Amino acid sequence: MKVKIKIDDDYQIFDYDGDLNISVITLLEKLDIPIEYSCSCLQGICGACAMVINSEPKLACKTFLNEERMVIEYNQITIEPLSKFPLVKDLKVDRSILFDAMTECELWLENDSEYNPKDLDFEYEMSLCLMCGCCTEVCPNYKLGDFVGAPAAVSASKLVNQESDEEHLKNMKKKYKKRFFSHCVKSISCEDVCPMEIPTQRAISKMNRKSVWRIWQLMNLD
Amino acid sequence: MVDIIVVGAGIAGLTASIKAGDNGANVSLISPDYSERSQSVMAMGGINAALNTKRENDSTDQHFTDTLNGGCKINNEKAVEMLTSDAPQIIDWLERIGTSFSRDANGNVDMRNFGGQKKKRTVYAGSRTGKQIVSALVSSCRKRETEGKIKRFVGYRFLSLIFTDENECCGINCIHEDTQELRSFIGDAVIIATGGYNSLFGKILGSTQNDGFATAKLFTQGVRLANLEMVQYHPTTVKTPQKRMLITEAARGEGGKLFVMKDGKPWYFMKDFYPELADLMPRDVVSRSIFKVSDGGKKDVYLDLTHLDEYTVKVKLDEVYEICDKYLNLDPLKTPIPIFPAVHYFMGGIQTDENHKTNIKGLYAAGECSCQYHGANRLGGNSLLGAVHGGWISAENAVLEKPKGNVINSIDEELESFKSYAPKDKSLQDTLSEISQIMNDSMGIYRNEGDLMAALDRLDNLDINVNAKYYDYLKVKLLVILSKASILSALERKESRGAHQRTDYPESDDRYKKSICAMYDDGEIVIT
Ligand SMILES: Cc1cc2nc3c(=O)[nH]c(=O)nc-3n(C[C@H](O)[C@H](O)[C@H](O)COP(=O)(O)OP(=O)(O)OC[C@H]3O[C@@H](n4cnc5c(N)ncnc54)[C@H](O)[C@@H]3O)c2cc1C
Ligand code: SF4
Ligand code: SF4
Ligand code: FES
Repeated sequence: MKVKIKIDDDYQIFDYDGDLNISVITLLEKLDIPIEYSCSCLQGICGACAMVINSEPKLACKTFLNEERMVIEYNQITIEPLSKFPLVKDLKVDRSILFDAMTECELWLENDSEYNPKDLDFEYEMSLCLMCGCCTEVCPNYKLGDFVGAPAAVSASKLVNQESDEEHLKNMKKKYKKRFFSHCVKSISCEDVCPMEIPTQRAISKMNRKSVWRIWQLMNLD
Repeated sequence: MVDIIVVGAGIAGLTASIKAGDNGANVSLISPDYSERSQSVMAMGGINAALNTKRENDSTDQHFTDTLNGGCKINNEKAVEMLTSDAPQIIDWLERIGTSFSRDANGNVDMRNFGGQKKKRTVYAGSRTGKQIVSALVSSCRKRETEGKIKRFVGYRFLSLIFTDENECCGINCIHEDTQELRSFIGDAVIIATGGYNSLFGKILGSTQNDGFATAKLFTQGVRLANLEMVQYHPTTVKTPQKRMLITEAARGEGGKLFVMKDGKPWYFMKDFYPELADLMPRDVVSRSIFKVSDGGKKDVYLDLTHLDEYTVKVKLDEVYEICDKYLNLDPLKTPIPIFPAVHYFMGGIQTDENHKTNIKGLYAAGECSCQYHGANRLGGNSLLGAVHGGWISAENAVLEKPKGNVINSIDEELESFKSYAPKDKSLQDTLSEISQIMNDSMGIYRNEGDLMAALDRLDNLDINVNAKYYDYLKVKLLVILSKASILSALERKESRGAHQRTDYPESDDRYKKSICAMYDDGEIVIT
């Protein structure tokens, strides 16, 4: 099998003839070449190993060779680093901007969390975000700039449910509107690639309902 | 204002930072990666607290007793007393900061059965308890970052402690993983929360980022370690193409049973061996039982979930279902899961008292890297609890520190050593595998003097001149020292207790009802 890995803007090609019932992360180990990438849990729950595999962002530790169409049909695999973040080296990128955006959007609670029996499952799902950056990779509008990307919307949709401090709620919604709503074109590409299957669209609609439509209604009343 | 340095950003490090910040400190939180990547997110099953909402007459006293019994009575009693009585308050706090714990029909935080405990005492959040707690802690930490109480430094690995001329700990030296920048942080106290020393045993169940560097380096700088022989083998792990993965104890808590084939029929041996708790005996006992009935691994042992309903397996244990489906191609509702014990948790480590102080003034340790709560065997659900509790208590004490002596700046020494290091030829991966092979060969579920002595010999003869980056180059040398200290501790404990089983000393012996401690003195490992 041909393994194409993007290193410093160039594709380097390696041969691999072993077992195909292995994940991409195991493949990288087996190639035994000095190549940098991030990993930690090796079981799809830490988000470290997100990379672009055959043109799709995926977790390398959860992506099996024998399930990849390019491997089955063409006997080849292409592995690239996520393209939207600054490259550290080889397959390793610097996702700090994703984390900084969470702080800029004031994504925390000022008061004790409210308990909403009806929304518990929703809040649980939204807390599963790995901050992996698969969603931002496919998002047509995400580039390093004002737009904070789906993870901020996901986290916000949970926190506005739990928060009771009116002032902070207002700020979170204002930040959402400016840093998310005005950029997102609702293409729903993010939901398709999320390794945790987080329903990002539900998060986005919920936030839009709470932060945008509400403001418009109020404005119309004035 | 006090300056506190926290190393490691899992549940213990996050809690320590938040609590130190709330107690008026300026916190520097240092870690190689974001908290989302820490091992804490991998915890599935739950966190213990005797909330007594299940009409089972549970109490914090009972939790205390179960924890001591599970640990075969070499736990630090005072620490366990605080741990178990603070547990309900910890759950309340985690709830208030926004952890989405699962609820029962009455709207109370739900609890499930876990090993070594007869009462339902394990609070959980779906099958992602660790991840849910980390999510809540991260946003709580974020708030304090904005308030200027906590400053995060991501990308740095711990290199060494900095002392004053009065031998107080007052800071650390670090290296940035990507830029190789060396940097020191000076403060009033240091809290180490770097997790277990996984790399000693190779690719085990937990995170690859927990390499044991910090524990080993602290040891060589005069920090006392304890109970290094106490390594927990989790009974139910599965072999996947990339590593062994854990099937949470919750699977047995929800009714899963272990069997082995005997005379053509499944034999559910745990009920025969231990009629009362059966499959929910403490982990050391279950692991040994599996080892025995499988004839040391020759026969397959299975975890049977096929009699459970679909909701339990697919919803309450969805993580188990996913591992089986994704990594084993197996449907646990139809087919029993082949399991075997594997290294999971380190009860031993940096010895601390009930206030999480080490033997060095100004130095604290919390979470899995520290040793006080779990004795010879940890109960499932007690480690998340210990991580939060340890972070909390260490922070409350650390903010009271004020070193008296003058700082001895050691960054120049580090720089000198960095500049003069010359990578050699040996492969790093091969060398790390050799170390873990030696540890696995000698420090299994059953140990004996011959194997342990042979392991020491192999470590002495290991070529450790590796071709690696500075940090890894140092790490290999340190891991050899920590391995030796673990083996020497195992040799010293001439009895069988909890996770430490000696075939040559099969009984427990009251003379060893204590911690085995390790110190490093002038290049020599001293065990007491
Ligand atoms: C699969 C699995 C399931 C588990 N399930 C449960 C459960 O259900 N209940 C339970 O109670 N426990 C469970 N545990 C155990 C529990 O998850 C851990 O013991 C606990 O999370 C440890 O938390 P911690 O904060 O001490 O360390 P960790 O979360 O491991 O964090 C360590 C931190 O230190 C950093 N670090 C490591 N080395 C260095 C260095 N050299 N310099 C600087 N920083 C460093 C890491 O990057 C990380 O940020 C489970 C463990 C695993 C692996
Ligand atoms: S819906 Fe489309 S534009 Fe909006 S965040 Fe998702 S991918 Fe980006
Ligand atoms: S929303 Fe999904 S894809 Fe995006 S960062 Fe979170 S887990 Fe990753
Ligand atoms: S290494 Fe954690 S998600 Fe892949």
